[in-house]
Amino acid sequence: MNEMGIALELLGVGMVTVFVILSLVVILGDLIIRFVNRFMPEIEKAPVVKNTTSGSEINSKKMAAIVAAVSKITNGAGRVANIEKL
Amino acid sequence: MGILENLYKMTAIQDFINNPGYLLMLAIGSFLLYLGIRKQYEPLLLVPIAFGVILANLPGGGMGVVSADLINLDADGHHTKNLLEIAKDHGIMNFLYYSLIKTGFLPPIIFMGIGALTDFGPMLRNLRLAFFGAAAQLGIFIVLISAIALGFTAKEAASLGIIGGADGPTAIYTTIKLAPHLLGPIAIAAYSYMALVPVIIPLVVKYTCSKKELLINMKEMDKKYPSTLKIKNLRAVKIAFPIVLGIVVSIFVPSSVPLLGMLLFGNLVKEIGVNVARLTEAATGSILNTATIFLGLTVGATMTADVFLDFKTIMIVVGGFLAFAVSIFGGIVGVKITNLFVKKKINPLCGATGLSAVPMASRVANDIALKYDSSNHILQYCMSSNISGVIGSAVAAGVLISFLQ
Repeated sequence: MNEMGIALELLGVGMVTVFVILSLVVILGDLIIRFVNRFMPEIEKAPVVKNTTSGSEINSKKMAAIVAAVSKITNGAGRVANIEKL
Repeated sequence: MGILENLYKMTAIQDFINNPGYLLMLAIGSFLLYLGIRKQYEPLLLVPIAFGVILANLPGGGMGVVSADLINLDADGHHTKNLLEIAKDHGIMNFLYYSLIKTGFLPPIIFMGIGALTDFGPMLRNLRLAFFGAAAQLGIFIVLISAIALGFTAKEAASLGIIGGADGPTAIYTTIKLAPHLLGPIAIAAYSYMALVPVIIPLVVKYTCSKKELLINMKEMDKKYPSTLKIKNLRAVKIAFPIVLGIVVSIFVPSSVPLLGMLLFGNLVKEIGVNVARLTEAATGSILNTATIFLGLTVGATMTADVFLDFKTIMIVVGGFLAFAVSIFGGIVGVKITNLFVKKKINPLCGATGLSAVPMASRVANDIALKYDSSNHILQYCMSSNISGVIGSAVAAGVLISFLQ
């Protein structure tokens, strides 16, 4: 019976704790988003692309794929400055 | 004749005759291998666990994990053999088990890798859905109470209940701390039911959700009631989130830090990106894979015939299923209650994914939603509660450990 008492206590304490912590996750997430939006909003930079190849050897779809790959790998920090065919 | 007798003594044939339980365990190990290889039930873990079971039940091989009583030098377990003595007296599997598992070393290391593979983005974009990761921990505590009613001790019941968190490393870590003698069956039950998520979620949803509820289109709800908070710099948010969350949670539930702290560290290095790419690579590659191999083999090796062939094992298998089902039910009920008070309705499948089992639970829920409405893609919404479920189960484990250890 003593163990059952502990179990019931754990049900109460455990569920309340999990709800409190996940409420904190929500509140903290919200606060961080507001803070970042206010003080560190990302400056949208259009990718500067200088195509040195003559003609239209790299089409727009390939270009989009390259820009997306670079952005993904560098977590948005990298920019495509030049594309050359070797 | 003497030579033949010596040859016979050298083999394990007499051991199998004396204890047929070994043969049964070899059959169980082979069946688990079949599930892992052929049915692809969590093969990355089930295959090492299953092979560990086989190794441990080859008589004379010395690969089975021995009881802590043989390691302890005094009755209260404060003084134990050192690792060299363990290796010399009980073999390498015991050396690995007592150094990597019994110390609680590997589960947090695996959590680091999981953190480095986890994207908190979907959760940050749908923060309100993170609450359902809490509701879906209900199964842990309901099964804990049921197990105590059936004669388990509180520590054993807590280890059984934590299966409902649907998180393998969390279940293993909690069991190591509270009831290490049940580690084998609990790990098997946890990973088997995680593999059976595509069966369990549809089953619970079928009996608890109406067609009208399953047709709730999350994207249409977003269009109808758009969020006022747009993220303007997701990368910065994703970097700040694990740091702030780690510190705050550690203040409230310090016992969850070994798991949650490592999860958040892994996630932080992932989000930092190229500057620490080598750390991310190591956490998600060589370290995670090595840890997985040793965890699987050693957990499997705890399942020797004398430990596994026990009534409690059957209870763990049944209890594990109940824990999963009640957790899914808890998440669904959480959504239903919320829907009573909000205009922006939520598809109950977003609650069903509140137990961990990332990302399989979300994929299964998405498939169910698409069956009812081919335009209702709810994957990213489900991922929110699914990821918060990982945090929720780690916190629940922390509560259980701090209360019962």
